[in-house]
Amino acid sequence: MYYYIKTTIVASVLLSVSVMAFSQNDSIAKADSGLLKQVEQQLTSKEPVSIPIQVRTSPSTLPDISVIGDFRASYRNNVKRNFDAGINEAELSLQSVVDPYARADFFFTMARDPVTGKFSEDLEEGYITTLSLPFHLQLKAGKFKSAMGRINPVHPHALPFISLPTAYENYFGEGINDEGVSLSWLVPNSLFYQELVVQVTDGPIDNPSFSRSVGNTYLELAHLKNFFDLSANATLELGFSGVTGANSYDFRTNIAAMDLTYKWKPVQYNTYKSFTWQTEAYFSNADTSKYQAVNSFGMYSFINFQFSRRLFFTGMYSYSNKPYSASTKENSYSATIGWYATEFQKIEIEGKTTSSNMEKEQNQVLLRWIFVIGTHGAHQY
Amino acid sequence: MKLKTLFIILACIGTSAVYAAKINVVTTTSDLKSITEFIGRDKVDVSSIATGYQNPHFVDPKPSYIIKLSKADMFVTVGLDLETGWSPQLLSSSRNLKIQKGSNGYVDASAGVTLLQVPSTINRGEGDIHIFGNPHYWLDPINGKQVAKNICDGLEKISPENRAFFEANLKTFDDKIDLKMKEWTMKMVPYKGIKIVAYHNEWCYFEQRFGLEIVDFLEPKPGIPPTPTQLVKIISEVKSNAIKVIISSPYFTTSSSEVVSKQTGAKTIVLGTSVGAFDSIRDYFDLFDYDIDKLIQGLK
Repeated sequence: MYYYIKTTIVASVLLSVSVMAFSQNDSIAKADSGLLKQVEQQLTSKEPVSIPIQVRTSPSTLPDISVIGDFRASYRNNVKRNFDAGINEAELSLQSVVDPYARADFFFTMARDPVTGKFSEDLEEGYITTLSLPFHLQLKAGKFKSAMGRINPVHPHALPFISLPTAYENYFGEGINDEGVSLSWLVPNSLFYQELVVQVTDGPIDNPSFSRSVGNTYLELAHLKNFFDLSANATLELGFSGVTGANSYDFRTNIAAMDLTYKWKPVQYNTYKSFTWQTEAYFSNADTSKYQAVNSFGMYSFINFQFSRRLFFTGMYSYSNKPYSASTKENSYSATIGWYATEFQKIEIEGKTTSSNMEKEQNQVLLRWIFVIGTHGAHQY
Repeated sequence: MKLKTLFIILACIGTSAVYAAKINVVTTTSDLKSITEFIGRDKVDVSSIATGYQNPHFVDPKPSYIIKLSKADMFVTVGLDLETGWSPQLLSSSRNLKIQKGSNGYVDASAGVTLLQVPSTINRGEGDIHIFGNPHYWLDPINGKQVAKNICDGLEKISPENRAFFEANLKTFDDKIDLKMKEWTMKMVPYKGIKIVAYHNEWCYFEQRFGLEIVDFLEPKPGIPPTPTQLVKIISEVKSNAIKVIISSPYFTTSSSEVVSKQTGAKTIVLGTSVGAFDSIRDYFDLFDYDIDKLIQGLK
């Protein structure tokens, strides 16, 4: 009995689908003959053709979706395996407005372990941002890159060099990327742009300067951004950051940082020429016991010069101690040439040498190929 | 003396009251600024983010623009993803709910414009294709009337008490466009159907309105710089079609078009794509005066 009922239902469905299909084909045939008639009429008519009202495409609530591929090839002189190549990281981003009051941004990564070759997934960032709070405030909550200086908030694929500055790596590793809340205030200053950001986060798990405390010590950060339009073509940004949090000695590390960025980009030919000079300095005070503290320093400075629409050069110098060793002195120099095919693809090649009073000289040559599919939001200026 | 001081104080109060009553408008381009000023006159205070000689696809989202947007009552955008690389980020950072998409203060100037080159499929392999259609619609003066209507509607939502004032200005604008259209069309009549070459695919509305025929572009695909192969193709097309003019825009270098000029004798002409592209283009009407005169000079 059950078999007969099932067979009847399947047969009915098939019959109705085929009837619908035939009726659709029939209607298409009718429409085609109608269209032919219209075309014939218009060809013979001397009246001007009226253009029908257009329906705009893409009425979708889907977020902007993109995937960024980061292919790397490298040579390093002081490791067992000198040559390596592969997809370093794939980033999936989903970005959209939530409702009239907020937007949300998610960045998932699949990063490759160069030793095992295996990929591991991570939520690189995932946060909600308010669009309108009173008094020009903006609140962000979730996991996000901290507003520390100029490099930390930027995704690596958007940087004009491949290897992070030695000073930055020595103090922040791959960066401070943490969970918590961030409040930004657009200072009511009519003379120049001023933004104050205050962030409280759990504390990074794996970072050279900071460690996530099991107690009630959180990572507290403040950043003041001052931005000046020097002319239509030139801008200057001066930033001050302060960050304090627990370190791996279960004491506190305080870092004060300063960043200075000069950009020149002729408004008329901004796709052909540009020049950027950016410098950051870090002053670290790390308590390693109740009575001992290490005061150390690191800095980097780079110039980025755009020769033509597609060709860029970056030269960088970095000097650095280490958070718990002021006697370590590292100097590094790097040069990067970037070829930007379009906004969606670039290839960069970089040479870097790092000398240290504690370790052997390190030399490396890196190649990076960044490619984007989908819609990826603009990066900060 | 006391009377004089009182008078100055009252004058200051009066001036600030008038200033405060103005609608603060930020537009993405200078053409939208010009049209907004025409409709809003002394009731608006308008600033544009992009300059007239700047490529509107590639504007750097400088933080200083955020200050302007944070105080704006109305934001006017070309739309159709023309400003997708910079305006969404600026709007999000403005902390100003009045001008967010969907709010009364957000005006998409493209609403109601009949679009050209609307793709049926999208593939980045074809270059910088705009999914909604070609966004350079303001280069047809008739579309300027629709833009003005959209701006007028936006201003009326913000300041309904000035509705009659804005409507009257809209009518004056439309009448002036109609009058100027006759003049521009008459000038272009002898050149109807004439073939030209352009650098970037941004002239289709101008082309259609004034009866030109753009045979090809120096860019092999939108947004892709000219390649030697493309230039060889263009040289052959210029020769075979006896093309006299290559049109470009202020924000593109003319090195590629000069190569073609040298090989063929065709003139390279830089037309204005927006108000302020050149000193003499002070408003939306000047834009077409300049472009049509310049084009005719080249075609003669």
